[in-house]
Amino acid sequence: MIPFRTQIKFFLENPETIDVGAFSGLFQRWIQVKALEGLLIDVADYRHVHQGPSVVLIGHEADYTIEQRDGRLGLVITRKHQHDPDLQSSLQTALRSLLAAAQLLEAEPSFQPALKFRADEIEIRLLDRLRYPNTPETFEAVKSDLQAVLTARYGTDQVSLSPVHADPRYLFTVLAKAESVASIAPFKV
Amino acid sequence: MVYQNWKEALGDQIPDERGLEVETFAGQIELRRQNKVDEKVFAETRLRWGIYGQRYDNGQRFDGHQTQTLNYPSGDLTKGPNTYWDAPGMLRIKIPYGGVSPRQMEVLAEVADEYSDGILHVTTRQDFQLHFVHIEDTPDLMRRLAAVGITTQEACGNTVRNVTACPLAGICHDEQFDVTPYADAMAYFLLGHGDTQDFGRKFKTAFSGCHQHACGLVNIHDFGLLARTKEIDGVLTRGFAVYVGGGLGTIPHQAKLLNEFVTEDEILPLAQSIARVFARLGEKKNRNRARIKFLVDQLGIDEFRRLVYEERETLTPDPRWTDYLNDVSEYKETPAKLPVSLNGQARPAGFEAWYETNVYHQRQPGYSAVYVNLPLGDLTAPQMFQLADIARKYAGDSVRTTVEQNMLLRWVSEADLPQIYSELKANGMADPGINTIVDITSCPGTDTCKLGIASSRGLAGELRDQLTAKIPTMSPAVKELKIKISGCFNSCGQHHVADIGFFGNSRRAGNYLVPHFQLVLGGKWKDNGGSYGLAIGAVPSKRVPDVLEAITNRYAKERLEGENFQAWVTRLGKKEVRTMLEPYTQVPDHDVDPSYYTDWGDTREYSLGDIGVGECAGEVVSLFSMEIAKAESRHFDGLLALDEGKFAKADDGAYRAMLSAARALVRTRYLDLPDDPNRIIEEFRARFYDTKLFFDPFAGGKFAQFLFDRHETPITTPDADSARRLLEEAQLFIEACYTCEARVNGSIIGS
Repeated sequence: MIPFRTQIKFFLENPETIDVGAFSGLFQRWIQVKALEGLLIDVADYRHVHQGPSVVLIGHEADYTIEQRDGRLGLVITRKHQHDPDLQSSLQTALRSLLAAAQLLEAEPSFQPALKFRADEIEIRLLDRLRYPNTPETFEAVKSDLQAVLTARYGTDQVSLSPVHADPRYLFTVLAKAESVASIAPFKV
Repeated sequence: MVYQNWKEALGDQIPDERGLEVETFAGQIELRRQNKVDEKVFAETRLRWGIYGQRYDNGQRFDGHQTQTLNYPSGDLTKGPNTYWDAPGMLRIKIPYGGVSPRQMEVLAEVADEYSDGILHVTTRQDFQLHFVHIEDTPDLMRRLAAVGITTQEACGNTVRNVTACPLAGICHDEQFDVTPYADAMAYFLLGHGDTQDFGRKFKTAFSGCHQHACGLVNIHDFGLLARTKEIDGVLTRGFAVYVGGGLGTIPHQAKLLNEFVTEDEILPLAQSIARVFARLGEKKNRNRARIKFLVDQLGIDEFRRLVYEERETLTPDPRWTDYLNDVSEYKETPAKLPVSLNGQARPAGFEAWYETNVYHQRQPGYSAVYVNLPLGDLTAPQMFQLADIARKYAGDSVRTTVEQNMLLRWVSEADLPQIYSELKANGMADPGINTIVDITSCPGTDTCKLGIASSRGLAGELRDQLTAKIPTMSPAVKELKIKISGCFNSCGQHHVADIGFFGNSRRAGNYLVPHFQLVLGGKWKDNGGSYGLAIGAVPSKRVPDVLEAITNRYAKERLEGENFQAWVTRLGKKEVRTMLEPYTQVPDHDVDPSYYTDWGDTREYSLGDIGVGECAGEVVSLFSMEIAKAESRHFDGLLALDEGKFAKADDGAYRAMLSAARALVRTRYLDLPDDPNRIIEEFRARFYDTKLFFDPFAGGKFAQFLFDRHETPITTPDADSARRLLEEAQLFIEACYTCEARVNGSIIGS
């Protein structure tokens, strides 16, 4: 059972040094050169909103967002039109696309110093309050799928998972930690 | 139990009637997907469900260098003419009188999280809008909203739009009585009513509790109701002064008084009668003249009134006309806490500035209403959850959205104000400045609107940032000014009723287009939108902050004691204001300063997107620029004449301005055109109107009709209203000539 939508977030190192406004022009350029897989449509700028999705690259299959939810700056993929057979495949697809975008950003020469994502923490959200409500039962039900996907990616079984919000109204959100992994460089897209 | 779909999960939480309607719409989506419903029929259907097209849904987008084709996966399947099925769109959610409960706020947050980009946007009609929504997701979205009593039905399309009302209703010091239950009854009586389904255009309704404030904006509405009481047979009776035919749009109209006192038991049948007259006699073919204001103008208010009351006599009595009155006297809101005065509590840093602007002391002692300042009307889903919690804890069940794109927590015990401030601040919702110059209203503009010409939100954000930095040292008179911005001439940002309004347009500079904003001065927000401002001149988008600074500095320096902004502008005179603008109107060459050629908040080279490539360039363009300048000058003379009360001269100035603009356009193709009105009209019609070259993709030939009408049927004795209207029309015609010239003549970089 795949969720309606899936989000995965990589956090940025040294967020205080980053000019969030620069992503607006960069995402426009990504549309020009079709930098990512899938149909890229538009850029939405919400920098005026507190801890919001600051700059969103709107796509058909997925959105890519520089967001500050919970006060933490990072890059989020929102997989919207999903055709994967199961949750693990859905997460793998999302992670693969997010990695592609993150690696492009890390290689982007206009950022000085270069952007760097942390890989020791990843946030995963399932946007489906009907089938994946934010409850301990959901956590228990999906834990093994999340663990399997992340273990395969990290190449280590030292991945810890914990729910982010206790409030049942919020999106089901899990923080994955693998302290031995320092950057996303070892990931393969 | 885990449900597989929302229909099952929500079951009987959805009221039968609403559930049936949503299921019918879901069926229509499926039929359209199978191509069994005509795309035009489906387009109107989805509009009536609040599903609106968004920019780039025609599969074309200018990326800064060239126009790209967006290959939506749905291929040729459309959800309306030139609107691809898979293109994300906007969903408008109706919130009658802006009233939402914490539970409703939570569901709004949920659907924003799951179906859009996580942002809830408050509109100038107290609605919420979600953007980048996919049509196949809308039935579930509607089911979830319906389960908590919210509908999107008739939020767009040729229908009765959201019924708005003062957010202070029931707590205001100056109101005659609380209009909330009346607005609620009106909204649900007209929703889906058989007599409101055959309009040529939309129909907007507003309630206001008093005459002097602007909260309800009765004067700018198709149908406005202003609370009144009257002693009848020794009994103090509630009723309303009823106004019709107001509206902003391209040419603003002040509403006209239909009846100075309609008793409360008559407002619903009267609304029904008005709807029937509008449906029967309103224009249907030409949507540009289809709002009820044109019908009222055409018939005259006396004849319109006669027809409405004649219609009233034919209505079959409906128990709903008065049933709701049984609940009116019972209507009350339950505060979360008892009233306690603010007295001696510790005040956190920043509290005083917030308290000064964002707190309204209710007429009920010990209670205050707290404005939640939403930049550009936006808040995130997590903020909405937090706000719902704060509302439950401190306010109770009654929260309102406002037409100035903020929210209002009512019935807050004053002793809780420091704590509520701290909690709002922790969630980024305690910026001070409500009802000040930083509280800027803006329509979506080029961010998402298909009609947008310039970035109203980009400009509003920039001005907000700059003005917030200056506000500590700002003169109080400047601080209280209202700024409102529209991305085009359609006035969704309500620029006509601001002290300082702007609407987006464009100008050509060499082979490039430059985003501009037309400055509109002298509108009146008070007195329910008491009067409308007039356009003074266009300035490049990037110079608007400088223009604003020049105007406000001079106002602060030169205003007389007690003189308000409108009076100062009148005393200064349009000629002088225009002179002030002149240094800011120059556009440097692209090579010298390319920043002029992009818009606020958008790094792409500016474009109107669909500009064509013609055969002329060079000196002919230069000739056009010179001649169109004459048109602007004649228009300005007309404005001055209007100020002087010389209405015939103003009327003539507007007409001559349109002729000059038309001639400028024709001479790009027929240089020897004589300066003879009949020949200008003849050639303009043949070369630009009949060929549809002049036609705007959305407005069609509307602006040309202004010239034709004036040429063929001049008013014998122009008055202030008619002269003013013709000047407004002339301004739009000139703008349309600029746009047309850019579209059809010469090459534009980036087109």
